[in-house]
Amino acid sequence: MAAVPLIAVRDLEKTYAMDGPPVHALCGVTLAIQRGEFVAVVGPSGSGKSTLMHILGCLDRPTSGTYHLDARDVSRLSDDDLSAIRNRQIGFVFQGFNLLARTSALENVELPLLYAHRNRIAPAERRVRALRALGAVGLADRASHFPNQLSGGQQQRVAIARALLNDPAILLADEPTGNLDSRTSIEIMEIFQRLNAQRGITIVLITHEPQVAAYASRIIQIIDGRLVTDLANASHRAAAAELAGGGHG
Amino acid sequence: MAFRSSLAIAVRALGRNRLQTSLTIVGMTIGVAAVLAMIAIGTGAEAAIGDQIRAAGMNLIVVTAGNYKVKSTDDFGGGAVEPSAALGLPDPLWRRALSLVEPTLVAHPEDDPMEKHDHPTARQRLGDSEAGLGSAATLTSADADAIRRIRGVQYVAEGLHQNVHVAADAKRWFTRLHGTDLQLPLIRRAWTFPNGRFFSAREQSRAEQVVVLGAVAAERLFGGENPAGRSVSIWKQPFRVVGVVTTASWMVAPAPGDDQFDAVYIPFTTVHRLLNLTKLNDITITAASTGEVSRIMNDVTMLLRARHRITDETPDDFTVTTQARQALAKGGLRPDVARAVVGNVSGLDKVTLEQLGKTLDRATRTMTALLAGIAAVSLLVGGIGIMNIMLLSVTERTREIGVRRAVGARARDVRSQFVLEAMTLSVTGGVAGVCLGLVVASGLSRYLHWSTTISPGAVVVSVSVAAAVGIFFGWYPARQAARLDPIQSLRYE
Repeated sequence: MAAVPLIAVRDLEKTYAMDGPPVHALCGVTLAIQRGEFVAVVGPSGSGKSTLMHILGCLDRPTSGTYHLDARDVSRLSDDDLSAIRNRQIGFVFQGFNLLARTSALENVELPLLYAHRNRIAPAERRVRALRALGAVGLADRASHFPNQLSGGQQQRVAIARALLNDPAILLADEPTGNLDSRTSIEIMEIFQRLNAQRGITIVLITHEPQVAAYASRIIQIIDGRLVTDLANASHRAAAAELAGGGHG
Repeated sequence: MAFRSSLAIAVRALGRNRLQTSLTIVGMTIGVAAVLAMIAIGTGAEAAIGDQIRAAGMNLIVVTAGNYKVKSTDDFGGGAVEPSAALGLPDPLWRRALSLVEPTLVAHPEDDPMEKHDHPTARQRLGDSEAGLGSAATLTSADADAIRRIRGVQYVAEGLHQNVHVAADAKRWFTRLHGTDLQLPLIRRAWTFPNGRFFSAREQSRAEQVVVLGAVAAERLFGGENPAGRSVSIWKQPFRVVGVVTTASWMVAPAPGDDQFDAVYIPFTTVHRLLNLTKLNDITITAASTGEVSRIMNDVTMLLRARHRITDETPDDFTVTTQARQALAKGGLRPDVARAVVGNVSGLDKVTLEQLGKTLDRATRTMTALLAGIAAVSLLVGGIGIMNIMLLSVTERTREIGVRRAVGARARDVRSQFVLEAMTLSVTGGVAGVCLGLVVASGLSRYLHWSTTISPGAVVVSVSVAAAVGIFFGWYPARQAARLDPIQSLRYE
C-alpha cells in the first residue's frame, strides 16, 4: 500500500447549529483509507456515519479538523472546487438510486460527463463511455429504458454505472442495498467486490446492516460521532461465490 | 461549448414535462404575439398617415386660378401677391431656407387693410376663385395639356367645382360637384370603388353625362342600394351613375360635408359642354418624384406665364401651391381630423405638411406606445407564468438538483440550467409569438383592412424582450435552485 493514504481525516468535527443546542454529529474522527480498500462504515442511525460520508464525499465541509483527499487538503475548498472533485474523483451510490425520472438509463449514466468542465467530451464519446459503463454492470441492453421500466436492482446498477463514469478514485455507497431484497443486494455487492478487485476502486460503504458490511475487507464502527472500532475483515463474504452457490447462509 | 451543453441539459429537462412546458410557452406566445401585433398596428397607422401625407401633398401641386397667397384665415380676403412669384424668378436661397422654418409670408403693400389703394387690388383685378366658378377664369384645359408635357409630371387633373343639387327619384342632396379628369383616381391614392368604376377616357372625350358618386352622396341618394347604372339629375339633366368612390384608408371615414366623398364627379368636358365654359378653377398635378416638386412648380409658373403672356412687371394670374391647406382640403385628410390634430396651431393655412406630419407622427407614436403598453401586460403575465412554473419546477426537482450537485454540478451550473430553461421557454414562446403575431397582423390587414407594418426591427426586439423576460423571471427560481443544499436536496422526499 502507498505511503500516502487516499483519504486521511484528522480530528474531524461537525456541529450543526440548529434552533436548540448545537448537535455534534462528529466528535473528532481520525481515519486513513488506503487506495484500493473496501471499507464498510457501520453504526446505528444518528451515529454520524452519513455526516462522515457527506464530508468524505465533498458534499459538506467539516466544522473543524482536516480532510486530505489524495494528499490535497479539501476541507476548506470552495463550492466550485468541491464540485469538481465530486465530478472527477468521487462516485456516489445512494439508497434511493436517485436516477433522473423520465430520462433513459444511458442519459442518466452520461450525467457526470455533462459537468466535466475541465475535460470536455464530445457527445458521441459520452455515449460510447456511458454504454461501456452500462455494459460493465450488465445493462447494455437496457440503455434506452427509463428508470420506471427497470427493477430496483437494475436501477441501482444504472446508478453504479453513473458513479463509475468519470473513473473516480472513490466509490461512496450510502446504504446501497437498503431498498433491495437480499438476492439483489448480493448482486450489488458482487459488483462492488468485482470493481474493487479488478479495477482497484476504493469503496466506502455506509450501512447499518452487519451482513452487508461483511462483504467489506475492513469494517469501521461509529457510534455517537466517534470511531469505536476499526477492524480488518480478512474473512469477508464473497458475493460471487454466494451467487454461484445459489444463496447465502 | 459550456453554453451548448447547458442548453442541452435545459432542453432535455424541459422535454420531460411536455404539458407544463407547452402551456408555459403558450402564455409567452400570446404575450409576444400581442405586443408584436399592437406594434404592427401602431406603426402601420404611422406609415399609413405618412403615406397619406405623401399621397396628399408631398408630391401634389395645385394650380389655382387667380392669385392669392392667403396670409391667415382671419385675413382671408386679403390677398398678398408674392413678388418673386410675380417676377417668375426662383426664390433666393435665403428665402428657401426661411420657408423651411415657416410658410411663405411676404409683406406686400396690398396686405395692409388700412392702406388706401389707388389701383385695383389683386382680388379686384383677378376675381375671387373662392367666390364661384369662372370669376377668375384664367386657367384652361389647354394649360392643363401643356402642363402634361412638362418633364417629371406624373398626373394632371383639371378641376371645376360647384355646389349642386343632385336628385335621384324623390331624393335630393345638396353636394359638391367636381368636374375633373379621369386621372384623378391615380392622384387620390386612397380611393377605391366598391361599386362600378371611374368614368372612362371615351366618356370624357365625348363629354358624356356620366357621374361617379362619393360614398356619402351615394348613401344619401340611394341608401344601401347599388347606384351603378341608375340615373340621377343634375342641372335638370339626366346623368348615368357609373360608380361609387370611397376611401381604402382606415384613417378617414367618409362623412357629410367632406370635399371628397360628399361629392359627385363628372368629366370636366361634360361641365364645359353643359355650362358652356372653357375655363378651369384649378389644375391638380403630381410630380413623379417628390424631390422634383420645386422644379416642376417653377416650370409650371414659367409655362403659364408664357402662355398667358404675362410680362415681367405683372404678377401671376394664377397660384401654384403645395400648401397644407390644399392638401387638407383636397388631399385625402378630412379637415376636421387635421384640425383636431393641429388644434393648437392657429391658422391652419400656415401649417405646412411637414408640421402636420410631425404632429400626426407624435399622435400615432403615442397610440403605438399605448397599444404596446397594454400588450406588454400580457407579456408580463407570460413572464410570471414562467416564474411560476420555474419555482414549481425547482421544488419538484429538488432531488434532481441534489443528484446533479452530487455528480459534480456547480451551483452556477444549476443556476444556468434553470435560467436557460426559463429562457428556452420564453424564446420558444417568443419565436412562436412572432409567427402568431405575423399571422394576426396580416389577418387584420386582410380582413379588417387595418394598416399593419412589421419591421425586422420589431421582430428582433420582440424576441429579445422575450429572452429578457425569461432571464428576469427565471433568475429568482434559478437562484433558489442553486442555493439548495446538496445534502438536503438528496434527502428531499
